[in-house]
Amino acid sequence: MVDPISRQLWLHRALYLAIAMVVLFLRLLPLSSGASGWPGPDITLALTLAWLLRRPEFVPAVLVVAVMLIEDLMFQRPPGLWALIVLGGTEFLRAREVSLRDLSFMLEWITVGVLLLVMVLADRLVLSLLMVPQPPLGLTLLYYLATLAAYPLVVIASYAAFGLRRAAPGEVDAFGRRL
Amino acid sequence: MARDRDDIDFARPVRRILVALMAIVLALTFLVWRIDSPRVERFRAAFIDRFVPTFDWAMVPVTKVLGMVEGFQSYARVYEQNQELRRELQQMKAWKEAAVQLEQQNAKLLAQNAVRLDPKLTSVSGVVLADSGSPFRKSVLLNVGLRDGVVDGWATMDGLGLVGRISGVGQTTARVVLLTDASSRVPVKIEPSGQRALLSGDNSALPLIEFLESPEQVRPGDRVVSAGDGGVFPAGILVGQLAQGSDQRLRVLLAADYERLDFLRVLRGHPIEQLQDVGALIPPPPEASTEEDSEAPQSTPSALQRPSGDG
Repeated sequence: MVDPISRQLWLHRALYLAIAMVVLFLRLLPLSSGASGWPGPDITLALTLAWLLRRPEFVPAVLVVAVMLIEDLMFQRPPGLWALIVLGGTEFLRAREVSLRDLSFMLEWITVGVLLLVMVLADRLVLSLLMVPQPPLGLTLLYYLATLAAYPLVVIASYAAFGLRRAAPGEVDAFGRRL
Repeated sequence: MARDRDDIDFARPVRRILVALMAIVLALTFLVWRIDSPRVERFRAAFIDRFVPTFDWAMVPVTKVLGMVEGFQSYARVYEQNQELRRELQQMKAWKEAAVQLEQQNAKLLAQNAVRLDPKLTSVSGVVLADSGSPFRKSVLLNVGLRDGVVDGWATMDGLGLVGRISGVGQTTARVVLLTDASSRVPVKIEPSGQRALLSGDNSALPLIEFLESPEQVRPGDRVVSAGDGGVFPAGILVGQLAQGSDQRLRVLLAADYERLDFLRVLRGHPIEQLQDVGALIPPPPEASTEEDSEAPQSTPSALQRPSGDG
């Protein structure tokens, strides 16, 4: 019999993968192919960061990299680069997750915002160093702002739908281990 | 508890090594892509070829349902649409009359000239499978590929106008980079002035006209058609109408319906024959330089070798 803790763990990991695939699927739908819209928020990235700051064990690095690599391949991005940057960003946050627990949500949002900005700029920097053609700066900034604006919504949705919240300092799980 | 601690102490370095390994692999992937792009792009095409059709069963119903929702929304203004259609029908009748007359005239002229129309422009039709998904890329995925003989670089159009160019072919899928994509550059000709220019996408709905030699010879409303320059596209496919943006730059109002890209035609391109011969200099026959033109009939053998005439 599978113990309830690891079942919860694997359930949530599968849930993360499923949400990422559904978002990917919705973005691939050929609804407004050529129409130029505003670059929408990157829900998958916001979800990754939000879950990482709540239950880092639900979004292991391997899973994040797999999802991002699939997105790289599907969305015609340079393969590997964005996945690498996201890996760096998430590892940075993961190492500081425990110390970020007692921040207010506003401060968490600012932290995520700064991290996202650094990630986007690092992406552009590497691409321009290697002289890869890239989208105009304005569009990238819009994409960044949209993702940042979507972050609280993703946090609220994860709490409402899956009861995901940040662990209080010193909180323990059902088996008495520190979270 | 003690066992847990041991576990964690043992797991941490292993995890760190794993993360470092992944980072190295990702960096290598990116570098290989940068160095040997075609190989990785082929892998990408093969991956998409496997990945997207697994979504197919869900994609078709969802697309249809959302299309129906859009259709229902349009019922709200059915009266205005009706009026609009009546007006358009009135105009169309006049156009039809003109078209019939032109067709007759055209047939007559063609018969008189015995013009040989280009018979090579056959096409393969495909259905749009998926969007690019990214806001920075304007491309669609078609359900035709290597299996149907599709080759990189072929032109793609909807019923009316040019849509884009094939870029990336899998076994059963092919990607079409739309004219609005930021990396799309297509040589075009502006009629009636015959000016050549480059149509360059910039991620907006109206691509820009660049490298126009004399902008004063064109005006908004002129027809833009593809030019055969560079052997990229067959010449003379309708692209759209010239328009001037609010920033005074010339843009093109695309003829293809970019809001509804359902079925696309991939035009079979054939390599355009290049004229390699620059036209050799025709020297005067050796004896003609020393003697007078009365000797010209003797030099006929050399003249026969170059029947293209002399100045």
